Formats: sequence, structure tokens, C-alpha cells
Amino acid sequence: MKEITLDVLHDAATRLLFDMSDEEYQTLFEEFKILTKQMETIGRIQGLDELEPMTFPFDCGNSYLREDVAEEPLPREEALANAGSVQDNEIKLPKVVG
Amino acid sequence: MSILDLTISEIHQALVNKTTTPVELVKEALARAKANNDNAFEILIEEQAIKEAEALGEPEVDNPFWGIPFVLKDNFSTKGIETTASSNILNGYIPLFDATVYAKLKKKKAILIGKTTLDELAMGGTGTTGHKGTTFNPWDPKHERLVGGSSCGSAACVSAGIVPFAMGSDTGDSVRKPASYAGLVGFKPSWGRISRYGLFPFAPSLDHVAYFTRDVKDAALLLDVLAGRDLHDATSSLEPVERYEEDLSAPLKGKKIAVIDDIVQTISDQKIQLAFKRSCEELAKQGAIIEHIRFGEDLLQSIYATYIVISCSEATSNDANLDGIKFGPFYPGKTYQEVMFNARTKGFSELIKRRFVIGSFSLMSENQDILFRRAQKNRRKIVNRLNEILAKVDAIYVPAAPSVAPKIVSSSYKLSDEYLIADNHLALGNFGGLPSITLPLMLEDGLPVGVNLTGAAFEEKKLLSLAAGLERITGLANLSVLNKKEGNL
Amino acid sequence: MNFEAVIGLEIHVEMKTKSKMFSAAPNSFSREPNTEIALLDMAYPGTMPIVNKQAVINAIRVANALHMTIDHELHFDRKNYFYSDLPKGFQITQQFRPIGRDGYLEVLGRDGKKKRIEIERIHMEEDTCKQLHFMDYTLLDYNRAGVPLVEIVSRPDIRNGTEAMHYVEAIRNIVLYSGTSDGKMEEGSLRCDVNISLRPYGSDAFGTKVEIKNINSLKNIEQALDYEIERQSASLLNGTPIQQETRRFDEASGKTVLMRVKTSAVDYKYFPEPNIVPIPLSDEFVNQAIATCPELYDAKKERYLAKGLNEADASIILSDIAMSRYFEKALPLVKNAKTLANFLIVEVNGYLNKNAIGIAEFPLDEASMAEISNLQDDGFTHKQCADIFNYCLANKVSPKEASSALQIEKQVVDEGAVLQAVNAVLDANPQSVADFKAGKDRAKGFLVGQVMKASHGKLNPAAVSKVMDEELKKR
Repeated sequence: MKEITLDVLHDAATRLLFDMSDEEYQTLFEEFKILTKQMETIGRIQGLDELEPMTFPFDCGNSYLREDVAEEPLPREEALANAGSVQDNEIKLPKVVG
Repeated sequence: MSILDLTISEIHQALVNKTTTPVELVKEALARAKANNDNAFEILIEEQAIKEAEALGEPEVDNPFWGIPFVLKDNFSTKGIETTASSNILNGYIPLFDATVYAKLKKKKAILIGKTTLDELAMGGTGTTGHKGTTFNPWDPKHERLVGGSSCGSAACVSAGIVPFAMGSDTGDSVRKPASYAGLVGFKPSWGRISRYGLFPFAPSLDHVAYFTRDVKDAALLLDVLAGRDLHDATSSLEPVERYEEDLSAPLKGKKIAVIDDIVQTISDQKIQLAFKRSCEELAKQGAIIEHIRFGEDLLQSIYATYIVISCSEATSNDANLDGIKFGPFYPGKTYQEVMFNARTKGFSELIKRRFVIGSFSLMSENQDILFRRAQKNRRKIVNRLNEILAKVDAIYVPAAPSVAPKIVSSSYKLSDEYLIADNHLALGNFGGLPSITLPLMLEDGLPVGVNLTGAAFEEKKLLSLAAGLERITGLANLSVLNKKEGNL
Repeated sequence: MNFEAVIGLEIHVEMKTKSKMFSAAPNSFSREPNTEIALLDMAYPGTMPIVNKQAVINAIRVANALHMTIDHELHFDRKNYFYSDLPKGFQITQQFRPIGRDGYLEVLGRDGKKKRIEIERIHMEEDTCKQLHFMDYTLLDYNRAGVPLVEIVSRPDIRNGTEAMHYVEAIRNIVLYSGTSDGKMEEGSLRCDVNISLRPYGSDAFGTKVEIKNINSLKNIEQALDYEIERQSASLLNGTPIQQETRRFDEASGKTVLMRVKTSAVDYKYFPEPNIVPIPLSDEFVNQAIATCPELYDAKKERYLAKGLNEADASIILSDIAMSRYFEKALPLVKNAKTLANFLIVEVNGYLNKNAIGIAEFPLDEASMAEISNLQDDGFTHKQCADIFNYCLANKVSPKEASSALQIEKQVVDEGAVLQAVNAVLDANPQSVADFKAGKDRAKGFLVGQVMKASHGKLNPAAVSKVMDEELKKR
């Protein structure tokens, strides 16, 4: 695992597109110490590695495929009504490069 | 006592008998909501509620929800009604559609009078982290105690007597823990039993629609209405929907109940220990078979870290759609990254950001094996153990919380170094997607504390039957601040 | 030193389903922005993905055509990253269990021999929204957000631009004829990204990979790759190492140009999509999807060849799926498939080009076309039939009406009548016969002309020519 430093946490936050106060990074740093220690302990639980990771709590058997039928789309004004920056019926952003 | 202080089924009788009307009920609920100062509401829906109540014709004898006022936690999508999940990043967001549970309740002519506060984006257990600040416990007029979260506003509304039921969501214990602090029935059916369409996701593999009522019968009646397949939610179950109230008066004789000793023993509050012990004796007296088992301390200690890693990982992905571009406050910037960065930096509170970093870090490819996938493996280990137990008994029975509602000053939303097993064990029900219900056990110096029953997946009917039996033992059905009781234990 | 190119292709194909991959918004490529959106496509909180059945059927059909092992349980995963065109902040894809694995295609190499290109995976995913870039801002159109895609990833088995072009062409034919996509590279419904590196012949190691993005025609694939191989070779030979970068093909100069140098790889933090439980696919469902797949390009071609078309004719007709449909509708009505094919390739294509329309707008129906084709096989000359064809189109009448209006009569092919006429002309022109015998081939043309003239054009020239040959030999 990547070693956790304040810089690593800062980088992770930046990649998530937000910033935090210095104090919060410190709190987070402490939290990570606790969490990784506990996860290490979990790693020592017997027989853990033979188990498949679980996403769904049980075998659902209720999956289905949707028939390919188009429904009435959202009226455009409604679809864009919550957007804060709209021009010519489209959402407007600063020029996206690359 | 007002008719509003009765249970849903009792209010229904009053409506059918025309002792009251939906308009009277809704007006009283709104008046109580306005008088309440527990900070339970994001928004009150006065005009629409009264209009809907006035538009109702003759009472529908077979529909217990006809004209009944209720509230929704503000993480359910409501068309045309601002929905923020108590986060600044969604301020001003007006959804374009109704969550399935709201649509179903609307169809039954229940009347929405407000949307309630929560821990921001439902991530938290204290009811203190929403953008409107702390929601207080109605049982403590001094406002020193929290009501618990994340479904804090919904819990407060029902225990303060504003409405007889309230919708919430439960990812770790977000309904069942506050139910304990608020003296309510808090019920989370199996994963997939109720459609999550329109519920703002926190961690979909753990998220459940759940709710508060004031007795077990109401919880059963509500499930009749809410359960079922929804073509908008691919995880919603095809298991047939039952009449969940049918077996509520069945005797407890022969029912097998497992008490997990290594959870109970971690509780230091002797009054809770004693009341819990008495309840077990009463259950046994009525013919139930109590089996004392150990779950395994290492597994119990692993619950919280496992929960944090899985839920934060899913959350960081689910909430990546919150960027100020399509909805929520837009902040200008020189680049699109800056636009998103500003919205997310200003829109999320610091707790949420820390959780997102934890989740994101757990999902990084070089960390997954020892964080995310390890947590998922441990989830399976835990669920295997749960199912092993539930194969032999009808339910697992434990105290829902280690104490009465804690004081706000002592509450923390930082990760703790201690293994707080009795505080975290309710997440077992989320790991396994199991039906799980909290109901009041006793009052300690005027503050309620609850117990919890958890059953096998899709055995809601059996679980509710057991819970009703237990409710007869505690004598605390239909408890609220306006309807205080002593109880039997 | 000589270098070997190691090329792998990633092809994204937009499916032409009626609705999107995970939402029920229409998928009809509307040009009016933001008019084909469902709640999920703008990632409104609380919306959930539901898998489109037809998209799965299409993916199975393409996987089968590529000889792949088909997974009988569908799994979806999230690919997490932030970008302006990605509404949810993640894309739903199939990272861990693609619907198809381990296939291959056989394509013509540069040496004209067949070569097997192995295919690693095919998976389903969803498209992003479309960005329109202006001077100082960008507009977002969500119509494309959620359009179903299949991505087909080859192994690095390709060695030059020609192979790459043939590989993409073969895949385009599969997605086109299976009804999965309209496969238009120019319009972006089939998009091709290339990874290319060079290494000394005989080496097993891989060189530094360069990515070339969004090449928009078959011809450009060949050109772009051949250029890039030369560029990298030259660079390596003069000692400049290749840097890891993304390039694009510039059509005007025929060169690849640098877009950006790649920095550290993005970590997409893949994990299983928790809102879609695994979907088992029964054998019956998979088999049915395959059995009901429309006839594919190769099978059609084989069938056309068996009907007497040559390779070139079959390829021309199959190069336009609408043309092949027209051809097949007329086919049961004609006596000779080859005659019909000739009409389509020459006369019909000529008309379409002149009027700048597609076969869909061609006014003559398949039955009339078959009738004209049959006239030729009944003994009318090609020229006569072409006149009828043109008259039909010009005057919007049926072939029958056209031939009576043109007073076209069938030429005589009866051998007796032809023989008589030929001998009459030979007898009357001994000098020309002598010229022919002396080696002047032109004399035959004169003699045939005389016969035609004498018969007022009523004899069939082919028959006259054939009899003429025989009779000249006898003299």
C-alpha cells in the first residue's frame, strides 16, 4: 500500500476535486492511522483470503434486462432547469482543453 | 391526548368513523411542526399538504394510510420540492421525479407535510453534521442530547408527536440507532425489499429504505404498502410481498432467539443490562427458547473498519456526480476543473471530505487488496457467520445501543481508536441485507433505549411477529414525548 | 537496424438501439441538443441503471462473430474519474468480466495472405456527453450520454497499417451487418484508438507505446500507422527515444501530430457496480441471440459468389448495406444474379451518384429493377435495357410502359435466321472475307455491321458475332 503522508492525502483530495483546511488533513492523517491498523488486524482473520469479495449481500436472482423501448425524454427546459450555467439550450463551461 | 398521538391504525379508525378529518390532522401536524424547536425540518410543505387533504373524498376503509400525515428524510427525491440531503452542494436543487416510496405513499393518499434533516448526505450517525446544524432529541427539552443519525429529523418528528410515521434510510444503523434514542420502532427490511429508486445513494450495497413508526403493527402495515418489485431499481426483489400484519398476535412459544453475548457484555450501563436480561426472562417465560451464543470477538471488532471502508468507497463514487454543473450551486472558474473544485470545496463539509478521501484511497488500485477488497472479503466472512446463526434460530436479539442518547458535547464524528462494538453492531444487518427492527426496551431517567431483532433475509413476517411479541412484553407500544409511558421492564 | 511494429487496436462502437444502455431515453442521434435525455443521463441523485436487453443481444452477436467465449453472467463495474463530459463522475463498464473474451479475426495481410488477429475482450459500456468547443467556452449536449457502446480490444498482433485497416474494416462489417451499429467512422459511431510501439526484429520486449486517437476513416488508419512506423523508426535510428504520448492523425498533411505527452497513468479505481446485481444469461437466451443474428457480411458474400457474382461485384454491392438489401429483395425475382449485379453497380450507382442520393431514395422499386434485368436475359441487348431503365426513371413509368413507348423489340437470336443473314453478307462481300483471312481483324467488324444494317438492328449482335466467327472459319 501507498505510504500515507499529508502530501499523499492532499493529492488524493485534489484528485477528488476539493480542498480541506490544514487541520482536517491532520485529523484525516490520524484517522488513517487508526483505519489502516484495524484493516491490518482484519487481514489476520483466519481464512479471509480464501473468500470472494462480497458486493451484494445475497444471491439476488432477481436481475432482468429492460426491453429496448424508448420512453418520452425529459423536456429540455426541465432537464436544464437545475443547471447554473446554460447557454443556447446547453450547459456552458469554461473552454475544455485536452 | 389528540388523535394525532395514536398509531396509524388507530388514526385510521378515527378517520373512518369521521371523528377527525385529514385536514384537521394535517393542520395539527403542521402546527406541531412549527412549534417544534428540535431542528428537524429542511422544509415544511404546508400549502400542498392542506390542498391534498382537502381534496380527499370519502375515507377509504381498506387503506390505513388514507389522509395520514408523514414526513420524508430529505434524501428522497420529491418532484418540485427542494431536496438537499442536508448538504450545501445541493442547495436549491429541485428534483424532476418522485422516489418510488413517495410515489407509493402518495398513491395511498398519505400526506407529506415536510422533509427532514439528516447528517449530510446520510453519512454520519449523530444528527449533527447536516447543513442546518444539530437536530435535538425531543426527549430532552434542555437540548443537550442528540437524537442520533443519520435520519435525525425523521426520528425527532415521530417521537415529538408531529407525525405517526416517517421515512428514513439506513446504511449502517441510520434508522435503527436513532429509533433507540428516540423511543421508536425503527425498521429496515431486507435489501431489495423496498425500492431505492429516488433515494440519494450513500453506499448502494448497504443502503436500505427504512422508517420510524410508534408500534410494530404500523411497521407491518407500512411494509405492505412499500414492499415490492420496481422496474426502476434492478436490485429490488421479486420475492412475493406478504400481508406482514397477519401474524402479529402469534404466541412466542417455540420461537428460537439467539442472544449474542459478546455484544451484550460490552455494555457498561447496568440498567440496560438488567432490563435486557429481564426481557430475555420474559421471552423465555412465554415459551421462546433463548440461546446464548458468541459471534466471535475478532469479527465484531472488525465491523466498523469494514463498514467505513466499504461505505466510504461506494460514497466517493456515488457523490462524484455532485459537481455544481448539472444541479446545485454553480461556481464560476477559469477551467471546468476549477468549476467543479469550487463547488465541491464549498459544498461539502469537512467530515464528508474526509470520508471521500478514505473511500478514494481504499479504491486506488495499489490499495484495493488491503483496503477495499479486504473489507469486502471480511463482509462475506461476517455474513457467513450471521447466516450460520440464522439457519438455527428465528432471530438475533441484542440491545440496539450501549446507552441512552448521548450528550452532544461528548459525541464525535471522528474515527475512534476503541472498538465500540455495542455502538456499531447494527451494521451487521446492512452487511447481510437482513430485516432488522429496533423497538423501545425501557426508559432510563426519562430517556428511552431500544433493543434490536434481526432475522433471515425476506423473513420480515416472522421477524415482525417476534417484535410484536416483544412489544407486548415491554409495554412500550406507541411511545412518544406526548405519550409518555413507564413500560414493564 | 530494422524494426517491427507492435500494434493493438481499441474500437468503440455506438449501438443503434432504440433506447440507451442504462436508461430509456431515445437513442436516435438527434441533432437538437439536450432533447434525448432521461434522468439517469444527467446523473440526477437517486436514479439507477437498468440494462438494455437489445444492447446485450448485440454484444453477444458481435462476440460470436469474433469467435469469442461468451460469459453467461453479466457483471458491470464503475470506472471512476472526473471529466466535464462524464455526468456521473464514473462510467459503467465491464472491467472485471467482459461479456466476451479470447476471440480472433482473420484478415488479409499486406502479402495477400490471411492472418489471424487475436482479440482480447469485448465489453459493453456507456458513452459520454458531447462537447462543443468554442473560442472561450464549451457547451455540453447530453444526448450522447448513455448511448450504448461495445468496446473491442485486440491483442497487439497487428504489424502494419494495412493489417490494421483490414481488421477495422472486418469489424465494421460485423457491427454493420449484425445490425449493431451503422459503423460510420466519419460520424464517430465507430471510433478507433491505436497503440503502437516499435522493437527490433527478434525482440520479445515491447517498446514505448504511443497512442493515436480518433482516426476517422479506414484509409486514414493505414496512412496514420504507416506514417507513425516511419516516424518512430527514424527517431530510433537517430538515437532519439520514443516518448509516451498521445497523437492524432492530421488528414491534410498525412502525418500524426502530438496532442499531449502522457504523464502518470490515471487510476480509475474500478469496483463492481453495486446497483446492478449479476444477470445470469440462459443458454437459450445466448443461443437465440446468435441464431437470430442477421446474416453477416462474409456469409452474404459467399452466397453472392455462389449465385455467380465475382469477388469484385460482391464487394461493391456489400460495401453499402442498403444496396445489398435492395439486391437481395430483387434477387428472387431475377433469372440471372450477375445481370442484376451489373445493373446495380453501373446504372443504378451512376444514377445515385449523378443525383447525389442513396439507394434508399432510389425511385425504381426492386420488382421493376428485376424486370429490366430479366429483359436482358430474355434476349434484349444491354443497351436496350439501359434505355428502358433510363426511360423509367425519367418518366416515372413501369418497364413495360417504357419498352412499348420506346418501341423496343427483341432481337432475333434464332440461329437459322442469323445464319442466313450472315451468309448473305459474306457472299456479297468477298473482298472483306479475303481481308479477314489475310489477318485484317477489322474486316469482321465491318461484316457484322453489314448484317446488322441489313436486318435493321433486329438481329442480336452477340449471336451475329458468334455465327460470323464460325462461318468465316468455313470459308
